[in-house]
Amino acid sequence: MSNSSSPAPPPAWKLFLASPGGRALLALVLVLAAGAIFNADGAFFKFGTHRDTLRQASVYGILACGMTLVIISGGIDLAVGSVVALTAVCAARMAIHWNWPAWQVVPASLVVGTACGTIAGWITAGWRVQPFIATLAMMVFARGLAKYASGGMKVSTAVQNADGTYRYVHVPPLFNYIDRRILGENLSVVTVIFLICVALAWLALSRHCWGRYLYAIGGNEEAARLSGVPVVGAKVCAYAASGLFAAVAGLCQAAQEQQGDPEAGAGYELVAIAMVVIGGTSLMGGRGGIGLTLLGVLTIGYLDKILSINAVPEAGRLVLTGVIIVAAVMTQRRRRT
Amino acid sequence: MRKQLLSVLAVAALSALLAGCNKSDSAAQPPPAAGASRHYTIGMSQCNLGEPWRVQMNEDIRTAAAQHPDLTVVFKDAQNDTLKQRAHIEELVSSKVDLIIISPKEAQPLTEPVARAMDAGIPVIVLDRALLGDKFTCFIGADNKKIGKAAGQWIAKKLGGKGKVVELKGLMTSTPGQDRHTGFREGIDGTGVNVITEAEMKWLEPDARKEMESALARFDQIDLVYAHNDPGAHGAYLAAKAAGRDNILFVGIDALPQEGVAYVKQGILDATFRYPTGGAEAIDAALKILNGQPVPKKIVLGTRLFDKSNIDQGGEALP
Repeated sequence: MSNSSSPAPPPAWKLFLASPGGRALLALVLVLAAGAIFNADGAFFKFGTHRDTLRQASVYGILACGMTLVIISGGIDLAVGSVVALTAVCAARMAIHWNWPAWQVVPASLVVGTACGTIAGWITAGWRVQPFIATLAMMVFARGLAKYASGGMKVSTAVQNADGTYRYVHVPPLFNYIDRRILGENLSVVTVIFLICVALAWLALSRHCWGRYLYAIGGNEEAARLSGVPVVGAKVCAYAASGLFAAVAGLCQAAQEQQGDPEAGAGYELVAIAMVVIGGTSLMGGRGGIGLTLLGVLTIGYLDKILSINAVPEAGRLVLTGVIIVAAVMTQRRRRT
Repeated sequence: MRKQLLSVLAVAALSALLAGCNKSDSAAQPPPAAGASRHYTIGMSQCNLGEPWRVQMNEDIRTAAAQHPDLTVVFKDAQNDTLKQRAHIEELVSSKVDLIIISPKEAQPLTEPVARAMDAGIPVIVLDRALLGDKFTCFIGADNKKIGKAAGQWIAKKLGGKGKVVELKGLMTSTPGQDRHTGFREGIDGTGVNVITEAEMKWLEPDARKEMESALARFDQIDLVYAHNDPGAHGAYLAAKAAGRDNILFVGIDALPQEGVAYVKQGILDATFRYPTGGAEAIDAALKILNGQPVPKKIVLGTRLFDKSNIDQGGEALP
């Protein structure tokens, strides 16, 4: 509707920069340029730095995939950080203490996370409780469950005997495998898992009618209902998927820490939301995509890494991160005319 | 509007329910048979059982008290809520326990309730964190600065007086973080040990791993990593292992049996220094107070070094 008054179409690069993808890419390029300038004696140009950046961003990125689905449907999922802790504790208990094989640990952990997501989704979609409240309740509840399941202690390779002494067991092969690097030590397995999650979320959003339903619900829920979209089912599935991705992230977290920490994942939900929003997916719902989220994940991941290799003090990091999030979101806003 | 109110109420009810579930107001032992010597009940007010170290403190108290059949300990967990802890102290006073052990969340708001317990004739032992003034019977705590200094001196000796060290700091807005930092700097002062980079990992293992990866990318030679807690040192170890960098030593602090001590046993850390909970010492002091013996007003606990040479003997006490 905006080009009805302009006589000539604007050049292609302008159109690209005006698109959400172009803006998200611009933010990433600016962050990378900052990294090239503040390269910490060349550390930024080492291949290992980029591999590690991707590894560190992976757990957040996996959460951001699920978060994208929920946010596009017009909701929000605050529970994912706690679900990470819950599944990490459960996975560590099953793999380390009970010696379950990987083919049992993985599905069981995924079921735990999906169940949390489904319950939160049912509360918000079925009983029409605001998603903020429903997932806030699940955030508190899952954190409590994680503490309960772990007995308040980290579930690690030091296993307490009945008499209070400790015996030490090996790190389970599943954890070692997830924490490995493949392709000649060049790619972390968690990064591969993250990319698979991105692909799955992309397939769901772009190639499946469920994805269209989510966009429709996020755009106008009442209109979607009247056009025959199964609103409740589609929304419950979005939260369930978010729980599933959180469970995957929890497995990765436990594998990388070699333990299940009931305090893990605190605040991760906010990082995931920031990644989605920086990408350009609208918190109002109905607009956005997983490709944008991928750009958002890389932007925040690289920002974090550049601050870290330059050993910027904590206070400065928080201030800079806040400023950059606001700046990135402001550029996203300007296209709404 | 009413629906929103209902949901808020539901959340409130849920959290209240959760709070109720977590509460561990359980007696450690059943009351003993009558006819034994005078039986004592001790109230233990813990500020937060969300930290493994504080779980260990309660565990130490429970173990020490189990040696004495004439002691019953009632445990309260304030779940990091100052006002809740204040209420717990008042409850313990009104239920007329014989002695109170408190590990306070913060000084200012808990000084007054403790003073009132003293006025009611109940002796109070303060554990780990201090209160204002001197209206308590005995304070037992460790000195993070001393522990940091001991770590610094051990590191200087271990490295032969010179080397490149990475310092992974805890939350620097917290006193333990500040003291473990300044103590360490005192310990290495005047030696050739050089801190090439320092970063805040906020006590968190994933953050420590991240910061260590950055340090590894930047520096080709790192001799030792000093982390303000054992999970931090463990995270740094994982980063170095993934990068294939051997020849780096790792030193942590806290030495919980299931964390630091386990890591030293498994060959992950080279040393860890215990930050004692004081649980056992509190029960010792409690027995003395209850039997009318004098105790010092302030007991500063020493640390314990665990390294490869002494791990099987249960560490070595440092003054």
